[in-house]
Amino acid sequence: MSRARGSLRRVLAEPGTPYGRLAGAGLLGLASAAATIGLLAGSGYVVGRASLRPGLGAIVGILAAVEVLAFLRGPLRYAERLVGHDAALRALTRWRVWLYDRLAPRVPAGLAGWRSGDLLARAIDDVDALQDLYLRTLLPVTIAVGAAVIGTLAVGFILPWAALALGVSLAVALVLPALLTWRRSHDDEIAELAGGLAAQVVDALEGAPELLAFGADATALGRIEAMDGRADALERNHARVAASAALLIQVCLAAAVTAVLALGVVAVHDHHLGQVMVAVLPLAVLATFETVPTVPVALARARSVRASADRLYALEDVPIPVHDPATPERLEAGVPEVWFEEAALRYGPELPRALDGVSLRLPAGGRLAVTGSSGAGKSSVVNALLRYWPLESGSLTLGGTDVTLAAQDEVRGASALADQRAQLFAGTVRSNVTLGRPDATDAEIEVALAAARLTEWVATLPEGLDTPVGEDGVAISGGERRRLAVARALLAPGPLLILDEPTSGLDAVLANEVVAGVLRAAGPRSVLLITHRAGEAARCDATVSLEAGRVTATPPA
Amino acid sequence: MNATPARPSRPRLVDPALAARVPGLRRVAGLALLVAALSAVAIVVQAIALAHVVDRSLLHHAPLGAVTGALVVVAVAVVVRALLHTAGDLSALGAADRVVGRLRRDLLRHALNLGPGWLAGERTGELALTATRGLRSLHAYYARYLPQAAAAAVMPFLLLIWVATQDWLSLVVVIALVLAVPLTMMYFGREASRRAERQWRRLSSLASRFLQLVEGLPTLRAFGRAAQGRREVEAATDGVRAATMRTLRSAFLSALSMDLIAGFGVGFVAMVLGLRLLWGRLGLETAMAVLLVAPEIFIPLRRAGAEFHASTEGQAAADRVLEVLATPGRASAGEPQRAVAPSDPAVGFAARRLDIEGLVVEYEHRDHDHPSLDSFSLRVPTGSRVALTGPSGSGKSTVLGALLGFVEPSAGTMSIGERVAGDNLAQWRTHFSWLPQRPHLFNATLAENVRLGAPGANDDELRAVLNAVGLTDLLAGLPAGLETVVGHDGLTLSAGERQRVALARALLRPAPILLLDEPTASLDQPTVARVARAIEPWLAGRTVVVAAHAPVLLSRFDAVVALTAAHPLAVPS
Repeated sequence: MSRARGSLRRVLAEPGTPYGRLAGAGLLGLASAAATIGLLAGSGYVVGRASLRPGLGAIVGILAAVEVLAFLRGPLRYAERLVGHDAALRALTRWRVWLYDRLAPRVPAGLAGWRSGDLLARAIDDVDALQDLYLRTLLPVTIAVGAAVIGTLAVGFILPWAALALGVSLAVALVLPALLTWRRSHDDEIAELAGGLAAQVVDALEGAPELLAFGADATALGRIEAMDGRADALERNHARVAASAALLIQVCLAAAVTAVLALGVVAVHDHHLGQVMVAVLPLAVLATFETVPTVPVALARARSVRASADRLYALEDVPIPVHDPATPERLEAGVPEVWFEEAALRYGPELPRALDGVSLRLPAGGRLAVTGSSGAGKSSVVNALLRYWPLESGSLTLGGTDVTLAAQDEVRGASALADQRAQLFAGTVRSNVTLGRPDATDAEIEVALAAARLTEWVATLPEGLDTPVGEDGVAISGGERRRLAVARALLAPGPLLILDEPTSGLDAVLANEVVAGVLRAAGPRSVLLITHRAGEAARCDATVSLEAGRVTATPPA
Repeated sequence: MNATPARPSRPRLVDPALAARVPGLRRVAGLALLVAALSAVAIVVQAIALAHVVDRSLLHHAPLGAVTGALVVVAVAVVVRALLHTAGDLSALGAADRVVGRLRRDLLRHALNLGPGWLAGERTGELALTATRGLRSLHAYYARYLPQAAAAAVMPFLLLIWVATQDWLSLVVVIALVLAVPLTMMYFGREASRRAERQWRRLSSLASRFLQLVEGLPTLRAFGRAAQGRREVEAATDGVRAATMRTLRSAFLSALSMDLIAGFGVGFVAMVLGLRLLWGRLGLETAMAVLLVAPEIFIPLRRAGAEFHASTEGQAAADRVLEVLATPGRASAGEPQRAVAPSDPAVGFAARRLDIEGLVVEYEHRDHDHPSLDSFSLRVPTGSRVALTGPSGSGKSTVLGALLGFVEPSAGTMSIGERVAGDNLAQWRTHFSWLPQRPHLFNATLAENVRLGAPGANDDELRAVLNAVGLTDLLAGLPAGLETVVGHDGLTLSAGERQRVALARALLRPAPILLLDEPTASLDQPTVARVARAIEPWLAGRTVVVAAHAPVLLSRFDAVVALTAAHPLAVPS
């Protein structure tokens, strides 16, 4: 619980929270609640006063006020909703940037399972869920409590003892159901079951052929039903808690209405109170209670937001793998020689070494192929070269400078990477290819595209280089995407080209052409080619074969 | 989602097709209506009792003792109403759980019954979406919308009838306002959905921008563009905000109109009552009771309106589920079976010859991925090893699919010994173990994955078979050994490792006939050689059919059957 309050309080205390707008929304909401109380109490007054038949003049003023309030209530609520949503969405912008900032220094190597697992999708959902803390917890609770105060004060103005009765009932109605809701259990398990159930359903459908062939379909369905049953049972428990909370509030309302009305009747009987007020009091009580039921619902929401906030703050606990030195050294200009010496790398103390004493040298302007099965340590070579992950021991120098002495940005600037995933961004073919060098000329772009064997493909595009890609643009096959990544690397200014499986998914003929074209276009730059195709490796000056993080063979150049 | 067939959109609380499937659903709807009706009665009783107290005190300065009874009635009416509400909500939740649980089970069973041939491709994703998100909105329909809809259907009507018995002018005012509800809802609703649709494309593309930028972070870092990405995150999210706010401005209009109508419902009624009291046309007790009841007429309408999208989404999901369930299944598939024990090992893999006679498979949509077979025959003697070779698209996998009962042949027979395919698929399948071309690893432990077809196998057997397929090193390096979770949320295995895990799974199943589809596609040559030697003991006495571009994996084959794309050859062996 302390952890919980901690993380929610931390969310609300983050700098940049749009307090001004939230306060505005709260005030509008309060005004709307006050209008409701005024509307009902005023209506009671109109009816009560009119029953004494005083003449139209006696009620026309209050009647006009009632109509104004009847009109105002809706627009006030409308304005509250808009301002509140605007505030929540502004907070969302801030939180997304927050998440981006936390992820940036830790990816791709610092967060295990970041790509394959659902860590990223969940972090994004969690950030979205934080909006609810403002919209569905903070605002409704503030407005309900504020309305309770306003209603109690108004009743107190009429009959102080009645205000006491109303105040006590309201306090109980606000606090007890809230506590009941806040203390409910199994929130985490329900969330887990909901996610797990969906995953199991998808798993069973995707693995349907295996389930049928291996006679395991009934078992899988049985597991899904058992999870469903457990989730339903837990949710029924929550529903019972919610129902008890709602019931408790109504019992408080019954007590408040009865007590306030009884006090009113006594006061009128004793001539302490104008008789018309006995019509006002019960309506004021009913109106004041109108917002109270939102409180337990808001707290239930806060419980699940809390889990999201906890997960997000846990990201901060993941150590940042690489830090810049206090006074970074400059790398020497030109094409650097790459030298791994007895390099060891490990992603966690309990995990085996991904690189285990690797020594390899890529002279300036050389071409080196790295081969090996998956998991052999090829991508760890890239992670070390781009300073995504530090070496445990041994050294890596670029042009004679130890990379740990240079700024990360400068080390990355020395490289131009075509990675396996070949991520494209919304924009045009041009904006994607020139990611590393936004000022590239058309002629330079054409050279790079030709080397990656994309000239013909671009010619078929409706708007050539300026054709949009991504969701709203043309469909791009995996092979085209990889070749675009190759062209992008060729265009980038870094003098060390790193090509990570640039041809997977291409047929052998095209793969050969692409590799030949890239090696030619690389010119004086160095090339590190990671591949599993022997033919491609043979085009390089030397080949290093990795297995289980060790160099197994370095055929002579 | 496909366009759902137009179904009569008569407003019903419970879909009759669902009611036919889920016993007791109609009763729940009936209960919801009863709760709503009793709630209306409680409201009126509460209003009358309260009005009585006010009347006695205001006009007659009555002492507390004269109104105690009425005060108790007020309190009891409030509590009774809350109890009714609670009962209604909990029963609706129970109904929602039953409907969704039942439909999920039926949906999955039916999908499995229809088999991989039907499930192929995009349909899996779409069905998964229906079975998860779709059913969630159906749950919301029954748990949240049903009680509100019942209240909206019954309470305003009953309360209006009561108002009619009290004061006709109030009735006119309230009816005029109630009639305005559907009109404004329709106007604002249509307006909002028109705008929402326009905004939607822009919104969703902006929303996916963020995901894309975060996913592409390593690339942005590699090119020194992380700071630019940060600015784009900010700009894209701010764009989402601006677009969302434009949508919300019109989306909230329907709520605004409801609030205005409800507000005037009180304000105008108060005015009418006040004037009629002034003119002596009405008693205070009646006026007060009508004033208390009037706002209650609008509350259910407003709530049902707020849950309206839950209703349309839930209905769409129900339609989709029913559509899938209406797809005719295969009569022979039967109910899913508790894992039928594969052939009794005591009997051994006794003489059971596999015969395929004149097998014809025709696909509705004939393409490269679904090659047909035209009168294919094959005889595989017990314990022999046959390679089905041919270029991709020649129908190798189709033969295996037909054997496993995934595709229904239009002609021909398949038999194993005396047993003929077609009477009981689950029984028939116990003869086979299978390594698919693209094996699926379940989101479960390594042990559970390998044990899929041999639930009784112990850990030693698991280790032995993983050893045979060359995964000893992998196993040794796993943090939790056999209990390590693999699959979607678990450890990422390479294609070669996945294929070998699936091979281990196929070998471990004690079935007499092994069907191996491209067993070496993701393995390098040294690995293939090692595995081929090591699995030999696991093949003893079994019939093996390998479908691949060339005879692979096994050191010897008794027959090689070549299929060509155009005319699959039938080569009896």
